[in-house]
Amino acid sequence: MVPVKDRIIKVTFNADVHASLQWNFRPQQTEIYVVPGETALAFYKAKNPTDKPVIGISTYNVVPFEAGQYFNKIQCFCFEEQRLNPQEEVDMPVFFYIDPEFAEDPRMVNVDLITLSYTFFEAKEGQKLPLPGYN
Amino acid sequence: MSTAMNFGSKSFQPRPPDKGSFPLDHFGECKSFKEKFMKCLRDNRFENALCRSESKDYLECRMERQLMAQEPLEKLGFGDLMDGKPGRN
Repeated sequence: MVPVKDRIIKVTFNADVHASLQWNFRPQQTEIYVVPGETALAFYKAKNPTDKPVIGISTYNVVPFEAGQYFNKIQCFCFEEQRLNPQEEVDMPVFFYIDPEFAEDPRMVNVDLITLSYTFFEAKEGQKLPLPGYN
Repeated sequence: MSTAMNFGSKSFQPRPPDKGSFPLDHFGECKSFKEKFMKCLRDNRFENALCRSESKDYLECRMERQLMAQEPLEKLGFGDLMDGKPGRN
């Protein structure tokens, strides 16, 4: 995979929690500048401020919509249950790259900002999570 | 600027990560590598290209502590950092 060095993209980060999840969850950087084909690391941080263990599960969203197909997560913390013990705080990494083909897509010619949003929900037994578009 | 709230049109389909989920670093074993990486970003106006060595070090820390599956660093996009020849690619 060869980086497309003349195509700089700003990636910004959002963090949300569903109302029932009492975690503090935030990105550790507001933005990072990458180019297609270059792997990149970014961090979120989550803390369980309660006195009970809490299990969360997250999903993510990418805007603009059309850029989402080029956004590849090599590894992250989403879609699997994550348990935080009382008062525990952890770093949550996302390791990703934007596919080099992004630079060849005429529809992407004016896209220089991509926003990655993660939302954490509380994982409870028997509860169906409202994860739109994901089954 | 369009938003993602396009009622009735196709919705964003999240995809699982290629290599699954990172185990949580409950004991902060790689926290110092993360701190070095974050400091590098802050010192370099958040330009990822200038902090790849630090991100490689963080991932190597995880691999050494079973917090990430072992993978050749070349396959994680760090091939140009491995052979010591800057400017390749």
